[in-house]
Amino acid sequence: MTQQTAEVVGQRLHPLTPFVKGWGYFVVAAVALVNNEGLRQNLTFAGIGLAAVLVGGIALGALSWWFTKWQLTGDAVRVDSGFLFRRTRIIRFDRIQAIDVAQPFVARLFGMAELRMDVAGGGKSDGRLSYFRYDEAQELRTTLLVRAKGQQAAEQQESEQQAEAPPLLTVPTTRLLGATLLSSTVVGSAGALIWLIVATMVLNFHIGLFAGLPLLLGVVQPIWKQVVGNHGFTLSDTSHGLRTKRGLFDVQRQTIPPGRVQGLLITEPVIWRLIGWARVELDIAGVAGQKDDGDNDHEGAQLLPVGERTEVAYVLSRVLPGFDLAGIQMHVAPERAKWLRPIGWRYLTYGVDDQVMVTTRGWVSRRTSIVLHHKTQSVRMEQGPLQRRLGLANVHVDTPLGPTDAIALHRDQVEAAALVQAQADRAREARRTVSAPFAVQTQPNPPRPDGSSSSAASPAEDSSDR
Amino acid sequence: MDDLFAPSDVSWTRVSPKLATLRRLNASIVAGLAAIVALLALGLTLGWLYGVLAVVVIALALAWAWILIGRNQRSWRYAEREDELLVSHGIMFRELVVVPYGRMQFVDVTAGPLERAYGMATVELHTATPATDAKIPGLHPDEAGRLRDRLSALGQAQAWGL
Repeated sequence: MTQQTAEVVGQRLHPLTPFVKGWGYFVVAAVALVNNEGLRQNLTFAGIGLAAVLVGGIALGALSWWFTKWQLTGDAVRVDSGFLFRRTRIIRFDRIQAIDVAQPFVARLFGMAELRMDVAGGGKSDGRLSYFRYDEAQELRTTLLVRAKGQQAAEQQESEQQAEAPPLLTVPTTRLLGATLLSSTVVGSAGALIWLIVATMVLNFHIGLFAGLPLLLGVVQPIWKQVVGNHGFTLSDTSHGLRTKRGLFDVQRQTIPPGRVQGLLITEPVIWRLIGWARVELDIAGVAGQKDDGDNDHEGAQLLPVGERTEVAYVLSRVLPGFDLAGIQMHVAPERAKWLRPIGWRYLTYGVDDQVMVTTRGWVSRRTSIVLHHKTQSVRMEQGPLQRRLGLANVHVDTPLGPTDAIALHRDQVEAAALVQAQADRAREARRTVSAPFAVQTQPNPPRPDGSSSSAASPAEDSSDR
Repeated sequence: MDDLFAPSDVSWTRVSPKLATLRRLNASIVAGLAAIVALLALGLTLGWLYGVLAVVVIALALAWAWILIGRNQRSWRYAEREDELLVSHGIMFRELVVVPYGRMQFVDVTAGPLERAYGMATVELHTATPATDAKIPGLHPDEAGRLRDRLSALGQAQAWGL
């Protein structure tokens, strides 16, 4: 990599990039200052410090901008970056699962945008290029789409971008707000907070005020996240699958290609159940598991932040055609599971049809996980010491990282063993019978037979690497 | 009981008994170090009686671990079915993992210095989810290499998209 420094060709990103990125440093510095007693008392010093950090941040950003160049080669996007440690990243077109143009808040003020390329198995920052002018980003996205998926697919997507189809579904902000206020976390935190305030006033129990802060955060944070993050949530249909759009400051668009859905999670907090509301989330290959992304922390994709029963049934039928949740025969866990789950055992159920396996659990917040047989990664059966006494076992059906966690908890162990076999068989059958209609999007990373054993640690006698 | 976590329609291979030896050695080293630290720390601060007491407790714990390690080693086994790899292990916490070859992302063969000294290696099969816990310790290096090649070949032949 280093020897190519001189001959790096390619284009730089937008020159305003360091200013937009520098804001991050400024905010961090401001927060640090506010938290620092000594600095707060000396305002001039603090002001100079802030300015220094801002200038320093922008200078660093400018350096990084100067040394970052991108170009399109025959079959890949190539990004060279770093001034101390040169780094070259090559993202092959055929590995790009999806390309999105995102506009974080500050970037939007400047009319700039970031290009996000989803690479299967890649980390969060692996496929990001920031920043471009908005129209440049769109143009580049189109170019990349043409290279990655062919002219036709790109044109299709382009025409959809221009004439956004009428939404299938929108979630009103009032409902978002109401639903968030009634969600288990907020109700729990608010309840604890009120109790704390009462206790503080009545009992003179001043210590309690410190505990109030995280509780307050527990009330405010979900509201902020839900109402701002999911503001104006719309679901629309495109030929590439469903498309969601949400966000007040940072408008996020996400396409859900049907072939990449790995599993679904329906969450119903206790109060929502009375009203008939539910949230639907998805596991999507290449989207979930972006842990350090903050926002996307194991969240996968939101299919419906909050919806009524009919809407939930509708989106389910869009994602899984021919699937009827109500029609699946659910099996409740044996009664002796009450020794481990005194109340919740009644809600531990699983059910299977020829397409999916469904598990439910939780009596405060009910979680219904739906996993597709042909997306099953592995099947596990587990049994702890207490479960062994009771003759119970858990069956896990593993899907790639995401919100879905299909676990049939506390089943009879004989039934569990049979279920493991049956799930393995069903997964095998489903893999055989389901042809891959979304060939481009579902290209696997081929297993790496050569690189598969870590060379430093491979056994001495093993010579097949060389 | 046993057959629930080890279905009998496949032939199971057990792992090397040397795995227990290795783990006992490991446990002994850790316990030995802990005993020395405890003896010195407690002996110098509270009195030597407490130090000796701590050493006795550690020795008992080691004895218990000694037995558990043996039972645990005997519980490890794996089987290769036509389409899936099966790994079963554990006495107190039992687990059976079924991984289709086609789901494999990559295979790791690792061998630490002690493992190498005992002529053993660990094969671990990774899928797209970290939850998959398909790890087989205590394999002879030849067997580990064979398993790795076979898994890679099968994984490639049966590879399935995400």
